[in-house]
Amino acid sequence: MATPLVREAGAAPGAPEHGEQELGEKASRSRARISHGLDRFALIIAFIAIVVAFSASVPSTFDTVANLSNILGSQAVLFILTIAVLLPTIMGDFVDLSLGASLGLSAMTIAVLNVNHSVPIVYACLAGVGAAIVVGLVNTLFVVYYDNNPFIITLGTMTIVEGVTFIISTNATVGVVSTGLSNWVYTNTFLSIPLEFYYALAIFVAVWYVLSFTPVGQKALVIGQARDVARLSGFHVNRQRAWAFVIGAAIAGFAGIAYAGTYGSVAPTAGSAYILPAYAAVFLGATAIRPGRMNALGSLIAVYFLATGTAGLELLGAQAYIQQIFYGAALVVAVAFPTVTRKRIFKRRKTPILPRPTAAGS
Amino acid sequence: MSEQFDGRDGVSSPERHGRDVPGRAETPALVAKQISKSFDRTRALDGVDLTINRGEVVALVGQNGSGKSTLVKILSGYHEPEPGGELSIDGVDLPLPVPPGMAGEIGLSFVYQDLGLNGGMTVLENLNLSSRVRHGLGAWSPIWWRRERKEAARVLGLYEVSLALDARVRDLAPVHQARLAIVRSAHDLRRFQQTSGGHSSIMVLDEPTVFLPEEDVRFLFDLIRTLVNLGGSVLFVSHDLAAVREIADRTVVLRDGRKVAEVLRGDFDEDDLVDLIVGSATPRRASSRTEGTEEPEDARTVGGAASRPVAGVAERAGVAERAAPAVAAAPGPPRSERAIRIEGLTGGRLRDLSFALAPGEIVGLAGLIGSGAEDVPYLLFGSEAATAGTLEIGGEVLSIPHLSPSQAVRAHLALIPADRKQFGLGLELTVWENMVMLVQDDSFRRGVFRRDELVEIAKKGVVDFGIKPPRVDVRASALSGGNQQKLLLAKWLLAGPRLLIAHEPTQGVDVGARQDIYRIVRRAADAAAMAVVWVTTDFAELEEVCHRVVIVSRGRESGELQGEEMTEDSISAAVLRQLEEVG
Repeated sequence: MATPLVREAGAAPGAPEHGEQELGEKASRSRARISHGLDRFALIIAFIAIVVAFSASVPSTFDTVANLSNILGSQAVLFILTIAVLLPTIMGDFVDLSLGASLGLSAMTIAVLNVNHSVPIVYACLAGVGAAIVVGLVNTLFVVYYDNNPFIITLGTMTIVEGVTFIISTNATVGVVSTGLSNWVYTNTFLSIPLEFYYALAIFVAVWYVLSFTPVGQKALVIGQARDVARLSGFHVNRQRAWAFVIGAAIAGFAGIAYAGTYGSVAPTAGSAYILPAYAAVFLGATAIRPGRMNALGSLIAVYFLATGTAGLELLGAQAYIQQIFYGAALVVAVAFPTVTRKRIFKRRKTPILPRPTAAGS
Repeated sequence: MSEQFDGRDGVSSPERHGRDVPGRAETPALVAKQISKSFDRTRALDGVDLTINRGEVVALVGQNGSGKSTLVKILSGYHEPEPGGELSIDGVDLPLPVPPGMAGEIGLSFVYQDLGLNGGMTVLENLNLSSRVRHGLGAWSPIWWRRERKEAARVLGLYEVSLALDARVRDLAPVHQARLAIVRSAHDLRRFQQTSGGHSSIMVLDEPTVFLPEEDVRFLFDLIRTLVNLGGSVLFVSHDLAAVREIADRTVVLRDGRKVAEVLRGDFDEDDLVDLIVGSATPRRASSRTEGTEEPEDARTVGGAASRPVAGVAERAGVAERAAPAVAAAPGPPRSERAIRIEGLTGGRLRDLSFALAPGEIVGLAGLIGSGAEDVPYLLFGSEAATAGTLEIGGEVLSIPHLSPSQAVRAHLALIPADRKQFGLGLELTVWENMVMLVQDDSFRRGVFRRDELVEIAKKGVVDFGIKPPRVDVRASALSGGNQQKLLLAKWLLAGPRLLIAHEPTQGVDVGARQDIYRIVRRAADAAAMAVVWVTTDFAELEEVCHRVVIVSRGRESGELQGEEMTEDSISAAVLRQLEEVG
C-alpha cells in the first residue's frame, strides 16, 4: 500500500513565500480574535433580544410562569434528544440519523408492552431503552468496526427502525400508557416545571461534566477535530466513537420514555419529527460558547432559544408550522452569519495576501 | 483553436511524426543555455547548459539539492530563471520563463513521481481527461464513448501498452499506472504538436521509478524505447543509477547547481558516476564548503566500510580525539548499550530491516525515496500494518505487526510524522490543547480536571521549546511551520518517550527553527536518555544531528556510517552505491 505520508522528493527551498505567509498569519490571527468575541455571544445576544421583544409585544402571555413552564417542559424531549445527537457529532461522526427513530422505537416499545401486554411500566421503560441501545450497537458495528460512512449507514438503520416501529405498533397509535409514567414525567412538577425538565437537566449535566471536565471529553474533542492526530497520539479512537454511538442511543431511549410520558399515546412516526430540530440545535449550539466546536452548553442554549422563539411566535398568533421555518432560518443565519460578516469586514485586507501569478504576457 | 484538435487527431497518423522529418534531424530537440537560479542566498542553478537531441534519452542525475528539480521546474515554467538564460526547442527560441500552460504546446511534457492520475476513474477516462479539460467550450459537446474507446485502444497499441480500458486506475499495479501516465502524456503531446506544427517532443520523467519494484522497472524501459522509436526524446531524472545506466544515451551530472560532467552510455562505471554525483573524489566539493577537506579516497571506501557490520572501537576513539567540526561528530554510546533493537521489520517497502540503538543515541536512517526508509516510522509506531518484525524496548519484546499506536505510546514511543498538518497537530485546537494531549490524564484527580494546571504546563512549554508567539490560547494553525513543529515536539517530549521516531522533522521549517529543533532533540536525547530514529532524505541534516547513520536500500539495512566517515557526501555515495550493488 502506498503510504500517504511520504513527502515529495527534492522540495525546493521555499523561502520566498515566507514573508507572505507571516503576513497572512498575522491577519488571520487578529481576524480570529475579533470575530471570536462576536461569534461567541451572538446566540446569547439573539436569545436576549427575542425575550425582550416578546416581553414587550405580548407581556400578558409571554411573561408568565405558565409560559416558562411550557417552554421548559414541552421541549424536554427535544432537549434530551439533542444531548443524544451531540455525542456522535462531537466525535466527528457528523450524523446519526437513526437517533430519532430510536426515540420512536423506544416510546413504541414502552407503549406496546405496557398497553397491549400489561408489562409493568418500569420494565417496559427498560425494554424501550434496551431497544434503542440495540440500534446503537448495530450502528457501531457498521460505522466504527467496519468503517463505513455514518451518514449512509444511519440513513439505512433509521429507515429500518422506523419500519420495525410500524410493525410492532401494527400501524396504529398505541395508548394510553400507565398514568404512573405520565405522573412522574409530565404531570408532577417542581417549581411549576414538569419533572421531565429536571431529568433532561440531569442527563445534560452528566454529559456536560464528562465532555468539559474530564480527559475523556478533551480526547473526544481531539477525535472530533483531528481523528488521525488522535489515533497517532495513542487515543482509543474507535472505542470512544463506539461509546458515543451507544450512549447516544441510550439517551435517545430515555427521550422515548419522556415522549411516552408526555403524550400518553405513541404514534408510529413519533421519532422522525425530532431528529432534524435536534441537529439544528446542535449545529446552532456550535456557533456559541466555543465557536466552531460542538459543545454541550451551546446546545442547551440553542434548544431553549428555539423553544422560546416558537413559543413567542405562537403567542403572537402564528400557526404551529411556523416552528419549522423559525428553526431552519435560525440555523442558516447562525451558521452563515460569522462567515458573511468576516468576508465583508476583511475583504480589503485579504486581497494583497493572495499569491500573484508571475506570468509574462502570452 | 483547441476545439480543432479532436477532428484532426482522428485522421492523422502519429506514426509519421518525429525523427524522419528531413532537414530537421540536425537541430537538437532542446537546447538550454546558461540557466541560473538562486533562492535567497542559495545558488540552486549556476549557468547550466543542457542539450537533448532528437531520439535521445538523457539522464539527469545529482544529489538532493543539486539543482535537478529546479531545472525541471524551470522547463515547466514553474520557476523563473535569472536573466541571461536561453531556451530553444526545435531551433525556435522561447521566452523565459516558459509561460504557464505553454509547455505542452511547445513539445514538452512532464510525468512526475505522483503521476497525476485520478485513481477513482478508469484507464479510458484518464486517457481522455486532458482533452476533456482542455476543450473549453467544447466541453459541452457530447462524449462519443465508442469512438473514444477505439481511439484509446489505438493509442495504447501504438505504444505497445496493453491495459484494460475499464480497469479502475487505483486497482492497477504501480508500474502500469506509471505506463499509463507516460502514454497519456506522450499522446497529449502529439495532439498539441499536430496543431502547432512542431515536431520535437520531449518527455521529462521526474523520478518515475522510485515506487516501482525493481523487476517492474524494465516495463517502463520498453515504453521509453518505444517513445524514442516514435521520434521522441526523453529527459530521465533519477537517483536510480542502475536504471540510468541501462536506459540513458547520455548522462548529465549536476552538483551544487553546476553541470560537472556529461558521460555517454558505456563510458563510465558506477563508481565514477557516484564520485561525479557526490564530488568527494575531487577537491572541488571541499572548496565549496568552509569546513575542512576530506581525504580523496574517503568516499570510495565508504561502500566497503559501510557493509562491514561493526566499525572498530579504535576508529571511534580516534574520531573523538580529533574533535571534528561537525556538531554531532561525537561518538554515540558504545554498541554494547544498544538496548533498543528492531529485528526483521517487514512491511511496506521494507524487507527484513534490522538495527539497534542505545538510549540517548540519535540514529539516522538514510535511503532514497522508495528505499523503504520512509516507511519505518509508521510501521514501528503501528500506524501502518507490518507483516513481520519485533521491537525490543525497555526489556520488553513487542511484535510490530500486532502493535497499535496506543500500545506504541504506552511503550513510550513517540512519532513526529512528516505530514504534520494531517497527522501531527489538531490545527483547530489551541496550542495548549495540542501540547498536553499526552499528559492530560495526570491532571484528572478525584473527579476534577485541572485545566489550569495543564495551561500552566503549556505556558512553561512554549517558553522551554521557544514557540513563538509564546501564547497558549491561539490555534495551532496560527503558528508558522517551524513553531508548529516545535509544538509537536513539545507534545511528545512532555510524555517522556524512550524512543522518538522523527520523519522529515524539519520539512517546511525555516533555518532558525531548524537549529532549534536539532537543539531540542539533542537536549532531550542527552538529558532523558531518549533514543532517536531520524528519517530524512536531507543527508546534510543527518551529518549534523546524528551519532550514526544506517543506510537503507531496497528495504534492507545495507551499511552503517559514523564519526568522521559520516558526511553528507559519504552518506549520498553509500546510498547510491548500495542501491546499485543490490540492483
